[in-house]
Amino acid sequence: MLSAPTRKSITDLSRRKSRTFFAVTTLALAVAGIGLFALPTLMNRSMDATVAADQLPDLTVSIRPVVLSSAQLAALAAVPNVTAIEPRSFFSGPVYVGARRAFAQVRGIADFGRQNANVVHVASGAAPVHGELLTDVQNAKHGLLDVHAGETVQIIGADGAVRRLRVSGEGRNLDGAQSVTSDNVIVLYANTATVASLSGVNGYEELDFRLADTGSAAVKQTTTTIRDRLAAVPGFNGFSDLPETRAAGDWPGKSSFLQFTKFFYVITVLALLSALVLIYNTITTLVAEQTSEIGIMKAVGGRRRQVAAVYLKTALLLGALGTGVGIVFGVVLANGLARYFGSTFFAVTTRLGVDWRIVLLSALVGLAASVLVALPAIRRAVRVPVREALQASGSAVGEHDANNRFLRGVRFLPRTAQIGLRNVGRRRRRSIATALVIAFAVGTLLAVLGLAQGAANASRASWGDHGEDVKITAQGHRRFDATAANLIRATPGVASIEPMFVTDVNLAGKDAKIWAVTQATMFHYRLAAGRWYTPAEQQTKARVAVVERDIARVTSTRLGDTIGVETASGPVSFRVIGISTNQQESGTALFVPLTTMHALLPGMSPEDNDYWVRTTSHAHALIDSTTTRIEDTLTAHGYPVNSEIKYVRLANEVASNRTITTTLAAVGFLVVAISMAGLAGALTTSIFERRREIGILRSIGARARDIRRIFATETIALAAIGWLIAIPIGYLLERFLVWMLKQVANVDVPFTFPLRYLALALAGTIVLALLITLLPIRRAARYPPGHALRYA
Amino acid sequence: MGRLEYRALRGIDLRVGAGELVAVVGPSGSGKTTVLNVITGIDRPSAGTVTVDGLRIDAMSEEELAVWRGEHVGVVFQFFQLLPTLSALENAVLPLDFARRGSKRERFARARHNLDLVGLGDKLDHLPAELSGGEQQRVAIARALANDPKLIVGDEPTGNLDSVTAGEMFELFARLNGEGKTVLYVTHDLGLAGRAHRIVSIRDGVVVA
Repeated sequence: MLSAPTRKSITDLSRRKSRTFFAVTTLALAVAGIGLFALPTLMNRSMDATVAADQLPDLTVSIRPVVLSSAQLAALAAVPNVTAIEPRSFFSGPVYVGARRAFAQVRGIADFGRQNANVVHVASGAAPVHGELLTDVQNAKHGLLDVHAGETVQIIGADGAVRRLRVSGEGRNLDGAQSVTSDNVIVLYANTATVASLSGVNGYEELDFRLADTGSAAVKQTTTTIRDRLAAVPGFNGFSDLPETRAAGDWPGKSSFLQFTKFFYVITVLALLSALVLIYNTITTLVAEQTSEIGIMKAVGGRRRQVAAVYLKTALLLGALGTGVGIVFGVVLANGLARYFGSTFFAVTTRLGVDWRIVLLSALVGLAASVLVALPAIRRAVRVPVREALQASGSAVGEHDANNRFLRGVRFLPRTAQIGLRNVGRRRRRSIATALVIAFAVGTLLAVLGLAQGAANASRASWGDHGEDVKITAQGHRRFDATAANLIRATPGVASIEPMFVTDVNLAGKDAKIWAVTQATMFHYRLAAGRWYTPAEQQTKARVAVVERDIARVTSTRLGDTIGVETASGPVSFRVIGISTNQQESGTALFVPLTTMHALLPGMSPEDNDYWVRTTSHAHALIDSTTTRIEDTLTAHGYPVNSEIKYVRLANEVASNRTITTTLAAVGFLVVAISMAGLAGALTTSIFERRREIGILRSIGARARDIRRIFATETIALAAIGWLIAIPIGYLLERFLVWMLKQVANVDVPFTFPLRYLALALAGTIVLALLITLLPIRRAARYPPGHALRYA
Repeated sequence: MGRLEYRALRGIDLRVGAGELVAVVGPSGSGKTTVLNVITGIDRPSAGTVTVDGLRIDAMSEEELAVWRGEHVGVVFQFFQLLPTLSALENAVLPLDFARRGSKRERFARARHNLDLVGLGDKLDHLPAELSGGEQQRVAIARALANDPKLIVGDEPTGNLDSVTAGEMFELFARLNGEGKTVLYVTHDLGLAGRAHRIVSIRDGVVVA
């Protein structure tokens, strides 16, 4: 049998079911937001399992195509610390997607049935035999190539001939999935014989190793031993790129994913804040409504502590309900998002799971927050003198303060609109709380929209620095030479060409890229300090570098410093002669004279470059046709190539940024949902409180539309106030997100806060608010006046 | 709204002639307020008909009733029931705004006139919270007069006032009745009831006298 006060705590919730529903929904959404903190754990669990199943390599070395016999591979496998080795061959070239050409990479697997590392799983169909291909499951998901087992893929080989290869099924591989997702490259898998027939070259270009000890010293030693063993192999002339190591527990795309989730946390905190404001609001309203009941309880002997306990229990019950529902929502939300990210970015079906630490955190935050935010209102209410409490009506009346005077001064509106507007001032605390919650939501959206615009601007600015229209890259074993350069230059539609190449390096422990470019480059470098290199420095192959500001900041590199850079051929030092504000390679590029890099990297001839090509016009059709001509000409002359059209890359990057910001915005809708639940709750309460007034208005001739207009005005006013407050909130939040991007991801997104989004947000807020409150307002307008007068 | 339905009136046949001054009396819960609410269309009868000035108001929709009340009936409640955020003048002009009768200037002129009539010409801008109970009831009467209705209905209009103010209120009703308006009011005060042309006594939902 429950005590009377406890019974009251429960029945107070069931008395106003709609308000309880909105309060519980609000808290549940916020607690569900905490569930997002479980994302890294859920992803890690699934990815760790996938990493184990894929036997992801701990060390990967890239080489120019080298034929390795079984004995030579066995010798490499016998290198101390190496537990397994898997060689890979590659062919890159165009495939036909309908009538269009797209760039594809075919990865050669020695034996599908016996893969020792970096395993390519057959997701459907069968492993390919000679002349067949597996298509990576991500190709279709990302709309790059949608082919199924039994269909054929037309691929242009290194000799320029089109080969029709049968698709044997779908393949899945973490590394391949990342290439599709990050680089928009079609990834196909075949046996090494098929790859050799496409490229015209035998040999492996990548060696994947699994190691017993992944400590940096052990890996370094192992890498040196591998290099030494390979040195005895004919055709080996050093690593073609910096060896890649994978730290224990790491998986492709992990750091980007974890950086991304940090932005979710910001939104989660906002969601929680919104919910707390609303719970505070709900309890304040509940207590204010019951001031006379508090008077009654005190009049019949209830002590302050006992009366307070009634409302604390109510708050706790609200908290428990909201938290319970929220935890379930949170688990579903986190698993849903993990599944979405796993499937979209990694082709991994994540396993359902629960992070109990987050469940516990959600329970603690949900319950504690509900009680804590209720305390001020309860404290206030129990201190009201008994006589005053007994006379309280629970409905605020008009006063002559400045705010109400201002609202009363708005006389140009129709009377019903004036009443609605003045109602906003009646329950000021509640109105402010409701407007604040709307402001959090609109502010979040403004910030995310601004960030998206900033990211798009950054992409455009980054690609705007490129003077070329197309970049032509040599593929496979045959590098470009003077003949290839002349063929490109002579292609109709080509205005000018410039040799360059990019290579991976490591600067002070950070991954970076060296852009080897000519002194008179078509690239638009922008110097923040120092200077560009001189013709003399280019001629003398001087070891000078212009470093991008972002990587300089992270590595504490200053103008005039001498920096040590780890390259594929070993450590090299450069003198920093300039700091640039460009943001190539996410701000990690170092510009070095092309001649210097040729001298530093072994086995490179002066013509062994990629080429930037400027076309005679920027018309997309001309760029497309010129690119096709260059590809065809070079391929026909035995130079397998890959092309990168600037406008296409820019569009892809903008689209990719949009995906990220859209996901952020989608999570931001959590805050919007909370705010809308809050608005609906506030208006429902407002309508409930004013049933008697509705009855009176109906009695003196108000029509349904008059009642609707009163509450619609109140809604619009609250939405507009929320929007106004949202402007500084959105501004500061975006500043914070831009700062966070810089700190967390070292990405410099320019701050932009477009005015057009403000107008859009105002219209959107009002429309959404009116839609959300449509039902309660309709109910208010249909409320029978007799009921309103008798029961309210 | 999830309330229990109960029968407040159990078969009433009541005729009130134009220009009458009628008092409705009876103990608490007898159905007095329901009678007035049925006459004003605030409540709907579950059976039977209600005809006011030749119009079957029981057949009207809620919306038609609202418009009809605004134009033909003035209601005065026991607890004044003014809108707390509106000034005396704004409360008094409200029915005219709803009925969209005349220009804005004309509506305010009419509301001012009515407030003058009830002796509140000097408190036009006061909020209800700044007025005494008697003054609030005067504003309520001014509001009831807004559209110059033929029928004025008061549900215990003096129930919340002291005897002197109550007397003044009744004088106002009597004066309006003298100007040709039909006035119906519920009261517990037998003295005030006795000053009506006719007393209708209700007990347990039926007219007993």
